[in-house]
Parts: sequence; structure tokens; C-alpha cells
Amino acid sequence: MDAALKFLINVGELKDRKRRGWLANKVPNCETTASHIFRMSLMAWVLAKKKKLNIEKVVKMALIHDICEVFATDETPYDPLLPANFDSLTDQQKAEEILKKWPKLSLAQKKKRADLKRKREEKSLLKLLSGVDENFKNEIIGLWNDFEKGISKEGRFTKQIDKAENFLQGMEYWKKYGKIQRDLWLRWAKEIFDDPIIIDFIKTIEKDIVKKK
Amino acid sequence: MEDKFYLTKEGLEKIKKEYKDILLLKQEKIHTDTPVAFHSEELDTEFVVFKEDLELIEAREADLEYILKNAVLIEKPTQKEQGQVGLGAKVLVDVNGETDELILVGTLEANPIEGKISNESPVGKALFGKKVGDIVQLNSPIVVNYKIKRINY
Repeated sequence: MDAALKFLINVGELKDRKRRGWLANKVPNCETTASHIFRMSLMAWVLAKKKKLNIEKVVKMALIHDICEVFATDETPYDPLLPANFDSLTDQQKAEEILKKWPKLSLAQKKKRADLKRKREEKSLLKLLSGVDENFKNEIIGLWNDFEKGISKEGRFTKQIDKAENFLQGMEYWKKYGKIQRDLWLRWAKEIFDDPIIIDFIKTIEKDIVKKK
Repeated sequence: MEDKFYLTKEGLEKIKKEYKDILLLKQEKIHTDTPVAFHSEELDTEFVVFKEDLELIEAREADLEYILKNAVLIEKPTQKEQGQVGLGAKVLVDVNGETDELILVGTLEANPIEGKISNESPVGKALFGKKVGDIVQLNSPIVVNYKIKRINY
């Protein structure tokens, strides 16, 4: 099969790949990885316009940041504490208990988990890009590493946009289904965002979505 | 926000090494078609990419130069100052009854999944300068209290 077609078919699988964090929270008909990528790309575009950033780079970075999930697990901050899947009632109950509290991991455990995640995702990305045009492959790997390491302004900004889209989706699910641990998410937001534009955007979400329930 | 990059010694060394590697790679790319400096099996995929593309090498070189030009090393505070939360501090906190451990770093090294919190985040700003026993309160739609239990450098 043509390598570009194979790549697109593989990436197309993300249109049906439900995100693990929402499954753990038993959110009905939850979004897929591709849905997250779609809105995150638009969010990156809208918010990056407020800064002097390379919009093309930011949007491309948003488009490719999670494509490694074709062959790698979509991990949540609660992994590896959560069960591998949530099919049985026992596993669902276990997940429910774990999600009630902030994940308790030492700094060393947190670092180890982050390093392993990155290695798994990098391996998956290389597998996904196998055989595609070299220039295209190189551009994607360059953008992905920039996103992961936050070396450029665009990389640092897009990394936070990823979390901001997740936060918005979480608050929407909380408003609609009440399934999300809202208070933990609100606390989390105060720790992870440091870009003034994104902090303002988070305040807007809090004001317009969280307070209006 | 990005005028200064506060970096730990470890973080600064990492950036310097990456910059040195990039310059070496660029030289090899210019003088030969197949750079020889990086040919390990454990090679970082990024360097595989850089081997192929001079434009990408130069873009990364510029990003790293910008960081190094604006880098500020986080020094270990004096004995007296070690009682306060500052950059590089490992802080044990009680957050609404749950214990958590954080490291306060500059924006470039911030990685909440590793417990590294930016000094420019709302929590980072609120904890800065506080001592053991202090309680920091953050108000959003909810009230979150961070009680400082231990500070290490």
C-alpha cells in the first residue's frame, strides 16, 4: 500500500479512539482523540493570534501532537494507578475511587512515568511515520519534539493549549453530566498554566461555564 | 513573560549540551552530506531529523541561542533564605487535606506531570517567598488552601 495512504488510514483510527480519561470518568458518548485535536487546533489558532507566534507552526503542532496515540496508549495523570480498561464493574468502581483524589506519586515516580511515556510515544510515532516522505516525516518529528520539550515559543504555548482544551472539555462534561471531579480540575488549572493569555482564557471558562451551572 | 529563562543547573547544562551538539551537527552537515557525530542505536530521533535538514538545524540553533542569551541560573539560596520558597525549592504541601510534593522552577523547565510547577503559574506565584507553616489561599470558583509543610533545596 502507498505509504501516505497507509499513514492517513492509521491516523483515521483516532476518529473512533475514545479518550481514556473520559472513559475512566464514565462520560457517556465521550470525545475521541481526533475530536480533541480538532478543537485544540482551532483554539491554538485563535489564541496564538494574540501573541506574536508563527500560526502555521502552532496549528501544525496541534494537529500532530497526539497522532502517536495510533500505536501508544492515551495516558492520563492517574496512570499507572488506573486499571488497564474499564469494562468490568469492579474496574469501574476501582477507577471511581482513584479519581476522587489527586494522584499521589512521589517526584521520582512522576519523573519516571513522564520519561517512559515519552519513550513509548516516540517509538509509536516512528512506527506511524515509517515509509512516508522523508521531508514530511522530518517536519513532523521536529514539531513533535519541539512540542514535547518546549524549546520554541510555539512549542511552549501549544503544550499549554493542549491542556486548556482538555480543561474546557472537562468543564463542559462536568456541566452536562456532573461526572468530573470539578474541584480537582480547578486546582490543577492553577498549577499547570503560566502563559498570561491562557490564564485569562481559563478565567473566562471558569466565569462563563463553571459558575453558571 | 519570556524575557528571562530561570534554569536550574541541570536544566542549563542540558540546554548548553543541546546547543553544542546542534553546532557540531551543523558543521558536519555543511562540510559533509552524512554527519558522523551521531550514529548510536540509542540516537535521539530529533537528531536523525536534523541530520537531514539544515533549515531545521538552524531553527533549533536560533531557539537555543535565544534561551541561552536570556538564561538566568537559579543559585542555591543562602542559609537564611532557605527557609522560604524560591526557585529550585522542593516543597511538601498539604492541599485541602492531601499531601503533594512540588518543585518550583522557571517556565522552561515546568512540567506538572513531573511535579515541576512554573514560578509564573498562579500557585507558583502564591507560594513564592512563603515559609513552613504558611497557608496560601487560591480563590477561583473554589477555595484551595496550600499549607507548606517542608522546604528543601
